[in-house]
Amino acid sequence: MTENVTLTINEKEVSLPSGILLVDAARMVDVEIPVFCSHPKLDPVGCCRMCLVEVDGPRGTAMLASCTLPVSEGMVVRTNTEQVRTVQEANLGFILLNHPLDCPICDKGGECPLQDQTMRFGPGISQLIEPKRLAKKHYDISDTIVLDQERCVLCWRCIRYLEEWEDKPQLGLFERGNETIVDIQDGRPVDAKTSGNIIDLCPVGALTNRVARFAFRPWEIDRTPSICIHCSIGCNVRLDSRTHQLRRIVGRENMQVNDQWICDKGRFAHAWVNDETRLTAPLLRKNGKLTPVQWSEALAYIAAKLTSIKEQHGADAIGAIGSGKVSNESNYALQRLFRGIVGTNNIDHRDGGDVAALPAGLPALADLMKPQYGPDPQVDTIFLFGVDPSEELPVLDLHLKRAVHRGGVKLIIAHPRKIELTRYNGPYLPYEPGAEATLLNRLAQAATDAGAEPEQKEVGTPPVDALTEQSKLPPCADAAVAAATLLLEAHRPLIIYGPMAARGQDGHSVYDGLTNLALATGNRAQLAYVGLDGNAQGCRDMGVLPHRLPGHLPLDDAAARARLEKLWNCTLSNRPGRTYKQMLDVGALAALFVMGANPADEHPDWATNLDTLDLLVVFELLLTETAQKADVVLPAFGWAESDGTFTNLERRVQRAPKAISNPKSRSAPDWMILAHLAQQLGVDWSFPDTQSVTAEITQAVPVYAGLTWDALGDQGRQWDARTLESEERGEREERNTHSHALSFPALGNARRTEEERGERNTHSHSSHSDSNYPLSLVTGTVLYDGGTLFRLTEQMQAMAHGASVSLSPTDAAAIGVEAGDAVTVQSEQGALDLSVAVDAQVQPGTAWIPESLPGAPVGALLNGSGAQRVKVERK
Amino acid sequence: MITELMRQEIDEILARYPAGRQRSGILPALYVIQREYGYCPVQAQDELADILGIAPAEVGAVVGFYTMLHEQPKAEYHIEVCTNVPCMLRGGKQCLHDFENALGIHHGEKTADDQFALDHMECLGSCGTAPMAAITDQKTGQIRYFENLDSAEDIEKVITLLKSGNGFRSLERWTPQADPNSEGAADGPYRTGGMEPRYLMARLNQRDSHKIDTYEADGGYETARRVLSEVAPADMVDQIKASGIRGRGGAGFPTGVKWGFLPQGVYPRYLVVNADESEPGTFKDRIVMEYDPHQLLEGIILSCHAIESEKAFIYIRGEYYFAYVRLQEAIAEATAKGYLGDNIFGSGKKLDLVLHRGAGAYECGEETAQLSSLEGYRGQPRLKPPFPAVEGLYAKPTIVNNVESICNVTHVMRYGVDWYKQFGAERSPGMRIFCLSGNVKRPGLYELPHATPLNELVYEYGGGPEDDNHEIKAIVPGGLSMKLLTPDQFDTPLDFESVAAAGSLLGSAGVIAIDARTTMVEVARRTLSFYREESCGKCTPCREGTAWLEKILLRIEEGQGLGRDLELMEYIAQNIAGKSFCPFGEASVWGLQSNLLKFRSEFTAQVERANPDEVGPVLPIRPAYRPNTHEPSGLRASAFAPTGETIVLHDDLATGDD
Repeated sequence: MTENVTLTINEKEVSLPSGILLVDAARMVDVEIPVFCSHPKLDPVGCCRMCLVEVDGPRGTAMLASCTLPVSEGMVVRTNTEQVRTVQEANLGFILLNHPLDCPICDKGGECPLQDQTMRFGPGISQLIEPKRLAKKHYDISDTIVLDQERCVLCWRCIRYLEEWEDKPQLGLFERGNETIVDIQDGRPVDAKTSGNIIDLCPVGALTNRVARFAFRPWEIDRTPSICIHCSIGCNVRLDSRTHQLRRIVGRENMQVNDQWICDKGRFAHAWVNDETRLTAPLLRKNGKLTPVQWSEALAYIAAKLTSIKEQHGADAIGAIGSGKVSNESNYALQRLFRGIVGTNNIDHRDGGDVAALPAGLPALADLMKPQYGPDPQVDTIFLFGVDPSEELPVLDLHLKRAVHRGGVKLIIAHPRKIELTRYNGPYLPYEPGAEATLLNRLAQAATDAGAEPEQKEVGTPPVDALTEQSKLPPCADAAVAAATLLLEAHRPLIIYGPMAARGQDGHSVYDGLTNLALATGNRAQLAYVGLDGNAQGCRDMGVLPHRLPGHLPLDDAAARARLEKLWNCTLSNRPGRTYKQMLDVGALAALFVMGANPADEHPDWATNLDTLDLLVVFELLLTETAQKADVVLPAFGWAESDGTFTNLERRVQRAPKAISNPKSRSAPDWMILAHLAQQLGVDWSFPDTQSVTAEITQAVPVYAGLTWDALGDQGRQWDARTLESEERGEREERNTHSHALSFPALGNARRTEEERGERNTHSHSSHSDSNYPLSLVTGTVLYDGGTLFRLTEQMQAMAHGASVSLSPTDAAAIGVEAGDAVTVQSEQGALDLSVAVDAQVQPGTAWIPESLPGAPVGALLNGSGAQRVKVERK
Repeated sequence: MITELMRQEIDEILARYPAGRQRSGILPALYVIQREYGYCPVQAQDELADILGIAPAEVGAVVGFYTMLHEQPKAEYHIEVCTNVPCMLRGGKQCLHDFENALGIHHGEKTADDQFALDHMECLGSCGTAPMAAITDQKTGQIRYFENLDSAEDIEKVITLLKSGNGFRSLERWTPQADPNSEGAADGPYRTGGMEPRYLMARLNQRDSHKIDTYEADGGYETARRVLSEVAPADMVDQIKASGIRGRGGAGFPTGVKWGFLPQGVYPRYLVVNADESEPGTFKDRIVMEYDPHQLLEGIILSCHAIESEKAFIYIRGEYYFAYVRLQEAIAEATAKGYLGDNIFGSGKKLDLVLHRGAGAYECGEETAQLSSLEGYRGQPRLKPPFPAVEGLYAKPTIVNNVESICNVTHVMRYGVDWYKQFGAERSPGMRIFCLSGNVKRPGLYELPHATPLNELVYEYGGGPEDDNHEIKAIVPGGLSMKLLTPDQFDTPLDFESVAAAGSLLGSAGVIAIDARTTMVEVARRTLSFYREESCGKCTPCREGTAWLEKILLRIEEGQGLGRDLELMEYIAQNIAGKSFCPFGEASVWGLQSNLLKFRSEFTAQVERANPDEVGPVLPIRPAYRPNTHEPSGLRASAFAPTGETIVLHDDLATGDD
């Protein structure tokens, strides 16, 4: 711990930690020193000269900048003398000299530090009689940020943020002296994924939010502390609303999660909330057309139809799909209805039962933030496997960059694309989808070789898995050795993998591979799975899985079943249900409920299968492709419209309270719709409000015990992974002694699985040598996709990933195509028309098409497994 | 845009800097681009960013900072006329007018045929040979100084010479006296004098004084050879400490003490020679580098031995092109002889010397700003502590010393500490090159011991007032930043302590004499024009304050001054001095402060004569800001419509929001 020093501030003796800056010290003892350039999250620069105070020194009293001066023993400081006041007045006079004072039309007006300080410390008059300096006003430095150079006071905060946090100096000071301006390089708009934070940092109205421009006045808005649901980080945000409309989103500090930063998607992409195409009334298909009806009619129809289907086909002909985009309460209600009332385990969500996930997420985000804030780093080496934080979890990307260049953390990356974080020159291991397990085994082998004593080496340890011999070595042998060495040398390694690496049948072997790798590196490595959707973790916790009860408890855990049966007053089935993919792949279901998902847009086959259902009920915000196929569409509240809790990738349960309402809409929270449906089915849940659902969750989900709405507060709380871990360990041992047939993660019908596996193996075998399909298809998530929640924000449309296939420069040259050319991408499953993008991130031999592109469901090319080979031909 | 050939040249440049520090080569690389295209096109900047592995905006930010890097093409010949105080006192303004008349363009413009572009410049370091112009040949990037341009005929000669294509036959300075027939012949070193014998300027007027042969014939490099084999580094630091050499750049900090700040056992260490001589009124380092470069090199070898550095940099101001070329040649000669490189004088010691050219920024004379610039950033000062001696260039221990300070090191080691201390004053030992400019008969460089009285320099060596009918009324003793001395103080001995006691500072020993023909309002305005132009823009008081002061002074000059302007200027100056980030900001108002104090009557008289009724300036109507500027204001169509001509909105104000 740092020691304290004693100093005197304004004649008062105070004891404060040594080494902190005087400006922070003063704040700690409630002495206000005005600042512009100084910011607690940015390195000191000392350029605005607003914070000069009197400091007694050996050569007399001097005016020193308190933002660059560390406190020391015996220091005598005065912040309230006549001299200090004079200098503050004069300096504000300088700052305001060329400021346009266009406060009436400035978005910052009302929450502007410059205004506040002018009122508090300013001279009150202007002595300038010359014309002011003119510069560029309101011009766009990106699609989302507007710059006004006249208002700028050159505090460098925006520049420093992009440099120190984003490590992308896209803004700079241009020109010199009195002409100095903040600007972008001509033709190079700011594109850092968290660039919007510079708007929050700007102490004047120089940087404003282009999406929210002129849509609010700070004194007229209601502010609701909430969280972002675009990805699983769960960044803390504040929702600013007025007249039933969400006007703006800004970052909110949570030092356990997002510091105070949020990404641009979270900040700007919220137009969908108030979009006029939002569903406002239940729709029932009448004469083939979806027609607005009363809630009672819609619910009665569903109840009757559901009852008859259950009687006719049995409960297991009914399935439900939950969502990582909706709250714990709604997901919990969904699975309770289907488990407790319908009586089936056919319940899952995207990236649910189809992924070999671990239940507990990241140990803690704060561990990754620690290298910069604390003396005790919890992690020193991070292995990212099949995760691209820059596109999938932008604030994690920010934390990682900072951990690397401030905390000295080493990064190892395995990904089919040479993702952005590879720029830190850690070992990069490319692989083709389907070769994940091979790569991992090779790594484990390298680790065993590097870690073994020489004599042991000669004896040779048998390959950890038979898969090793299966395919040729990926072109990264050196990197594999480097990576293995780093993992061995690390004191606290952390391995993070994402759904892309562990989907489908290969998921098992990937999971095994990761476990083996952890073992080979001395079993010190922590292994963590991160889901991508905002509530991906919560979905699993709530038991929206075909093989898991709430709280990750196995279906055959009789005690757990008994407890829930008592709580829900029902009998529970222990037959494993179908996974998301299984429910959509085969037309075996008669009824399907879809809440907050859009499978019809993922895969053309699935869209067709949905048409064959006797009953399709969709809970939605908008009339999605799936909703258009429904028999009943139920209009749901978005996350900003109702209370709800969400669980982020580090098991932090956080509140998202109701921020706005739409008096013209008859939509309702998903859990409430489900409660009414339960009532129609004869069961009274008696949930008067969200909080009562949350309260029941704390009973049904053991790990959530005690996490009531009130207990969560504004910063949320993590559930304790330790109980689950001990359980998990037991299970792993069990798995090691037995075979794959165990229920983790159970993939339904065993016979079918075997068949599929056989098929896949033959297929992959033949396709590798198949010159008809020379490229391996890589898919995955991009931040600016064509998803509903993004594309409705008009201002951001130009940022969206186009309907394109990205090729490596070598492959593009070999095929003879250039960026922008129209091509057809073909697999054995189907074809897509796309344009070409050439991207050095893409590895030779692969073709990259992100998911969720408008009009380009990459699912058309997929056969259901992660690995697929394609060819690209000019149209 | 960066061709294969340019790329090769850039790669060679980048290889001079330590591994991983290639960004340091940004200025020389941009010079390559500018030589090729006449300016730095954005596309080439972006390509350079790629080569350096930095963001394009970082290159753009650097280009914008330095005045010698252009964002728009200039002309075949870029003529820059110095109008700063020392030149102004000797007709710099007339010189600029004569160029304007001769070329038929206003300054800031270029001729229709793109042959000449004309600009005015703030101090080019030839104050003793004013008025003058620096001319850049776009094709080659070479710069030549044309000096003593006293009449319109002289300027005609310059233009004729340039048009004939012989203007750059030599890069050595041109004067009408040395080249009466406009053939491009060079003039030699400018006027030097002082004590006998001289040391720092002993060799300048010899034939081929810049060559290594003549330097060695005069005993050059013997000292370095001897010291490297006989004197241990720590002993040498002690000797320099004992000699009491004080920095000649301006601050006068004892050189040996500075060396003593280096942390024990931390390597590598760097020596950076500050050759960014930019303080108006100072032109001493230039002549040493042009005519006796080996004197400097020997000093560098010695200093690096003392501080145990194996890599040194000379940061030379961009305008000093001839000195740059001479240094390049000298370094090549010394390297060929094995005096630089891997095994100096066969001693087994290494020294790699990199010559680094700045690109026009006064602020880069400040040591931390110079290091920023040398690292490839905008030349803006850094926080101290850490001081450069602890964490300087590339965050390694670094000593930054002025050229003349380093030259003194050679002589101390050659003749001994006791010898050195017999010159000058107790706390300002040794000799000094005084730069005398302004209204004196014999402006030039005078090597004299410290503590020589000011009037001896000005009246005996300088010959007194330029025009006997006009007395000298004020003298700046240490470069334009320093406070003015009045005739009652002209007997002040020129050493650090005495000048400080007189209320000013000896600074860089740039002595500027001002006679009665010049108004002090003009002196003040020119001074502030310089600081407005050269403020780096980092801190608020200097950035905003200097520009504000210039605006007020311009207004007073133009006859719209108000009585209260004087107090206002004092108020502004007070709040710049001591409040800015670096010492340069502070020094920007010292001259004005002393001027207002000592010559207040001249300001008052100007205000009263030109604006007796104290009429304020007419302010332009500022266009209203409307978010929907696409649509016309309703007011315009109503009875409130403005009469007269349509108000033209400023271009960038009229573009509306999307």
